[in-house]
Amino acid sequence: MSGISRRKFLKTTVAGSSALALSTTKTAFGMKEFHGYPDSMGVLVDLTRCIGCRTCEAACNKEHGLPEPKLPFDDFSVFDQVFHDGKQKRRTSAEAYTVVNRYDQDQGAPVFRKINCNHCNEPACLTSCFVNAYTKTKEGAVIYNADVCVGCRMCMVACPFRIPAYSYDSALHPEVIKCNFCYDKRLKHGKPPACVEACPQEALTFGHRKTLVKVAHERIREQPDKYVDHVYGETEVGGTSWMFLSGVPFDKVGFDTTLQHHPILDNTKSFLSFVPMVLGIWPAMFLGFHLLAKGGKGEKKNKESKPIVEEHVE
Amino acid sequence: MKSRKIQALAGIGMIMVLFFLAAPVFGAGEEAPTSVQIDSLSYLYSGVDFDHELHVDVAENCSACHHHRFGGELEDKQCARCHSGSKGTFAITCENCHVKEPFTGQHIRKMEANLNRYHLDMTGLKGAYHLRCFNCHIKTGAPTGCEDCHTRTDAGNRFYHSGEYAPKGGVHAGVHE
Repeated sequence: MSGISRRKFLKTTVAGSSALALSTTKTAFGMKEFHGYPDSMGVLVDLTRCIGCRTCEAACNKEHGLPEPKLPFDDFSVFDQVFHDGKQKRRTSAEAYTVVNRYDQDQGAPVFRKINCNHCNEPACLTSCFVNAYTKTKEGAVIYNADVCVGCRMCMVACPFRIPAYSYDSALHPEVIKCNFCYDKRLKHGKPPACVEACPQEALTFGHRKTLVKVAHERIREQPDKYVDHVYGETEVGGTSWMFLSGVPFDKVGFDTTLQHHPILDNTKSFLSFVPMVLGIWPAMFLGFHLLAKGGKGEKKNKESKPIVEEHVE
Repeated sequence: MKSRKIQALAGIGMIMVLFFLAAPVFGAGEEAPTSVQIDSLSYLYSGVDFDHELHVDVAENCSACHHHRFGGELEDKQCARCHSGSKGTFAITCENCHVKEPFTGQHIRKMEANLNRYHLDMTGLKGAYHLRCFNCHIKTGAPTGCEDCHTRTDAGNRFYHSGEYAPKGGVHAGVHE
C-alpha cells in the first residue's frame, strides 16, 4: 500500500487546486491599467475665462432639442437658486445636460463653473451597468443606450460627479439623461460639442485629451499667479475627458477634491476577481470537506470490511 | 524667383485690401482708423461698430491689442521672453491669425502635425476678440454686458429664449422650489 491515505490525498488536492485558482485569478482578473483611448478627445474648461453668460446652456438646449427652459438663458437670477436648505446649487437634470453655477468668493470676483458629464476614462456609470447600456467610445464620449436600459439607476448612484439624471416625468419611456459629448451629431464627425462652439470666451477648449493636458500645464506654467497648480480631471477617478483649470482652490468652486485618483472600478476589481473563484472552486472545496468529514466515518467502515477488499485484490 | 515673390506680395496686398475695406490699411506712421466694423462672426449678436479712436486714446500701447504687429514693443511679458527682438508682422487684424473655426478635426490635425509647434494653445477668432476686449474691460471698469457692445439679433433672442421668445407663463413660473 502507498503511504498516502484518502484523507491526505483529498486534502492536498483541494489545497492545491484552490492555491492554483488563487494564483491564476491574480493575473487573469488582476489590476490592468487603462489610461483612456489614445486618440480620445476632451475639453479643457478654464474657469478663469468663464463669465457666466450661459451661452453654453442655450447651445446645448438647442442642439439636443431639449424642453423650453423655465427662465430665459439670459436670466442670471438662476445663479441665486439653491436647493436642500441652500446646500445644493443647480444640477444637471432631465431638461438640462449642462448648467453653469456661480460661486461667490471671499475675495475677488465670483467664479463660474460649468457642470456636465466629465466623460471618465473608466466610467463608474459604465461599470455599474449590468446591461451594458453605456459605451466609452474611442473618441472619448461616454454614451448611453436607452433601448437596453432597465431603469435601475445604478449609474446615477455610481457617478462620482452625480451627473446622470432621470426623466421621471416620462411614464412610458423613462430614461437616464446626461451629456453625450454631442457624440452622434458632432463628435463622431470630427466636430466640437455645441457648447464649445458657442462659448464666446473660449473658456472651453476642444482637442485631443493628450494635447489638452499639455496645454493645461503650459497655462499654469506661464501664469503661475493666475492658476491653482492642478488640472482637475487629469487623474481624478482615473482621468476624465473633461478637465478643469481654476484660479481659486477647487473646493471653493464646488469640486469634490476628496475623490480618489484611480478608477472607481479599482475598488471592486479585486473583489470581483474572487467571484469566479467562489463560484467555481468553493463548491468543489466544500464538497471535499464534506466528503472528508463523512470519510472519517466511512474509514471505520472500510477497516471493518478490509479483509473483503484485500481478498478481492488478491 | 523674384517674380514669384512679387506675385506673393501682390497677393498678400490684395488680401490686406480686402480685409481693410471698412478701415484703411495703416502702418507705423500712418493714420489709424477711427472706427472698425467687427462683424465677421455675427450671428447671435450683430457686429460691433468698434470705436478705434477712443481705444487708441485709452490704451497706452498699440500692442495692448495688436500683439503681433509691433515686435519689440510688446506689452505682454510672456511674449517678450522670446519676441522682444522680433520685428513685428504684417498681420494686424485678429483674423489674420486666429481662425473662425479652431475646433474642427481638420484644424486640430493641422496644429498637431507640427511637433515643434510652441504655440499649441492658440485661441480661435471669437475667443481672441472676447478675451482681449472683455478682460481689459473688466480691468479698466469699462462696460461688460453683452449688449453694451453688440445688440442681439432675432436669432439670438430665439437662441436664448429671450425677448419675444421668452418662456410663457410669467417670469418665475415653474421655478423649482
